[in-house]
Amino acid sequence: MPLQGLFGDYQTGSFYDEMFAAPDQPRPHYAKIFEKLASMMPAQFEERRQHADLAFLLQGITFTVYSDGRGTERLFPFDLIPRIIPKSEWQRIESGLAQRVMALNLFLQDVYGKQRIFADRKIPRSLVYSCKHFLREVIGIEVPRGIHTHICGIDLIRDSKTGEYCVLEDNVRTPSGISYVLENRLVMMRTFPDAFQAHEVLPVNHYPAELSRILRSLSPRGGDDAQIVLLTPGIYNSAYFEHSFLAQQMGIELVEGRDLIVDGGIVYMKTIRGLQRVDVIYRRVDDDFLDSLTFRPDSVLGVPGLMGAYRAGNVALANAVGNGVADDKAIYAYVPAFIRYYLGEDPILRSVDTYLCSKKDDLNYVLSHLPELVVKAVGESGGYGMLMGPTADRERLEEFGRRIKADPRNYIAQPVLPLSRVPSYDPALGTIAGRHVDLRPYCLYDGEKVTIVPGGLTRVALQQGSLVVNSSQGGGSKDTWVLFGED
Amino acid sequence: MLSRIAESLFWLARYIERAEYTARILDVNFHTVLEQTKDRYRLHWDPLIVMAGEEERFRKSYGEADAQAVFEFLAFRQDNPSSIVQCITKARENARTIRDYISREMWEDINSLYFTVNRFNPTEEMAAGPHRFCDAIRFGSHRFHGVTDATLPHDEGWEFLRIGWFIERAEMTARLVDVQYHILYDAPAGISGADNHQWMAVLKSVGAYEAYHRKYHSSIEPEKVAEMLIMHALHPRSIRFSMTEVQSGLRAISGTGPGSYANEAERLTGKVLERLRYDKITEIFQLGLHSYLDEMLQMCGSIGEDIARSYFYYAVVA
Repeated sequence: MPLQGLFGDYQTGSFYDEMFAAPDQPRPHYAKIFEKLASMMPAQFEERRQHADLAFLLQGITFTVYSDGRGTERLFPFDLIPRIIPKSEWQRIESGLAQRVMALNLFLQDVYGKQRIFADRKIPRSLVYSCKHFLREVIGIEVPRGIHTHICGIDLIRDSKTGEYCVLEDNVRTPSGISYVLENRLVMMRTFPDAFQAHEVLPVNHYPAELSRILRSLSPRGGDDAQIVLLTPGIYNSAYFEHSFLAQQMGIELVEGRDLIVDGGIVYMKTIRGLQRVDVIYRRVDDDFLDSLTFRPDSVLGVPGLMGAYRAGNVALANAVGNGVADDKAIYAYVPAFIRYYLGEDPILRSVDTYLCSKKDDLNYVLSHLPELVVKAVGESGGYGMLMGPTADRERLEEFGRRIKADPRNYIAQPVLPLSRVPSYDPALGTIAGRHVDLRPYCLYDGEKVTIVPGGLTRVALQQGSLVVNSSQGGGSKDTWVLFGED
Repeated sequence: MLSRIAESLFWLARYIERAEYTARILDVNFHTVLEQTKDRYRLHWDPLIVMAGEEERFRKSYGEADAQAVFEFLAFRQDNPSSIVQCITKARENARTIRDYISREMWEDINSLYFTVNRFNPTEEMAAGPHRFCDAIRFGSHRFHGVTDATLPHDEGWEFLRIGWFIERAEMTARLVDVQYHILYDAPAGISGADNHQWMAVLKSVGAYEAYHRKYHSSIEPEKVAEMLIMHALHPRSIRFSMTEVQSGLRAISGTGPGSYANEAERLTGKVLERLRYDKITEIFQLGLHSYLDEMLQMCGSIGEDIARSYFYYAVVA
């Protein structure tokens, strides 16, 4: 069947295209949506797109750009063409992620507890202790029910040849984006009800209830009347929409640092009826800012004395403090080893090959192959401190070579991974074109099992040729469908 | 309920009410002036600026008050903290900090009002006259009241909204009456019947024109207009009605019954209401309307301060 209408002269290029097995041959799980889209008039599609945008605008699902001094609110662009994952594929992802979350939790328990892993020589103590986000302050703290990684947003990408899912980052601190998953689904159901009718799509809206159940189980006082709050840095934080959304969905109080006070090792919130005890804090404030008495003294976002209450076991924090060590890009390279060491299993999901510049052999390889590699600073995230070898000029390559030599521990390198592509609408062209995507599923761990809402956040680099999916740089998102069956 | 949330609800309501009130006054005065002679012109616009409490800022930017200047200043100016656009912006800011607390529909509503207001082009609107703009604000405010009433549980948070709404309304009505009397009584006698138009405008701006005729069956007389706006028991824009709502809101929060009070705000509200119930308009005029209203405004100010003391602020404990 020749491509037509919205698809124009769609090219799959040399990438793994999730919809098409060959240029005019949709994969079985995309067949129905392909037919639907191919039969639509571009104007019809454009109209639905505008409806969807308006829905996002009215709900204030925006992020703020401060470049013009006034603070302009922009939409996080939403692409109407869903990303579809058949059931068998999802089951493999799900078990792979669950395995990874369990191993990461055991690792965090261990490095902040008995530290068996150093004695057993599976990872050098010096490597862990030199991580920017390893916090000696929390060694020995027994966290409620042994849970460190209540919520993980593990980033997956697909191999450009085989389509195999690989883990790119673990994000076990305060991952954001779940609100987009839930809102995207709502808007999608309103905009494309007919497409849903043709498929059996697994629901995602049980996330807040599951998270709420886990938070409740952490209460040091037990019982059903635990006071749970979500701690936000406030309305100027780029994820503020999500904080308020989750608080509302879970029916818990959304608080700022100034709403809380610690007295006698107990955390209270300031209410119109006086002080009221707080049992569990789902905090969306970074470790460094949590408590000005323990961490950054200039922080006004946290609560002075909070760490004392935490240490005394009078308040539970989710996620646990100190998780950042597991997000260190050098530690990432050891996660397969953690899975083998703590669980005695083989990793189900592949990690991206990683060269640690702190190892002599790896360092030499990296320095002689810089133009083929991506180099990342270990403690950074969000694309900061990065070198894209293939697109860097000679000067920049040399500069990075010097930086790596001066501080090898601070860098890792990975091969360049062209992300898989999913057809996406390009408003400038008025047609559908292939755009690169990643996937962030949200994993909830209750101490026994890992629950993952089917799918997750598909981020898409909407600009032609771009691999950058970040919202600040032209990235958008898609609704992600996990099917009840194979098509 | 968190103190911060209570405070945001209180201010959210106040800003919406202030925007609506300003829009009403602007709209009605603009249309009254179309039927006025030139020498009475000033009498229409000066009071509006005085009422907003922004006379100094206005004079610095515009000098003389005329329809265009007043419209721009009260509706659109970014540097006038009481302009309608600023009020709606601040109302939305407050709503944003408590959007987990208010209903989703309330948030969508205030958010859409914000976008509506910002879509208006000041230059075009100034050419077209304020009606379209003011209508949008009035409807927006009414819709927000409706959505709130229908979707937010009528618990203590709702009471803080109610208190904010009505204390702002009481103050605005007091200022409206005060300023109009002040200016009209000081003015040279105009064309016969012109004052009448001005008082009609006052009544219309608070939507009380029909109610006035039903109650008094007479032509427009300044004392009666004042009586209606200050002490009518059931008209929703009178000071007495507004303060009754404030009182019942305060009592619902503290659980206090009639005849006693739990805090200074309740005591002062009770005191204000005593006077509004038992004073006669002739007595008020003998004492001086201005000093009467001025005192009322001061008491409203003190009530607001004590609400903050009782419910919003925590003294820093060393």
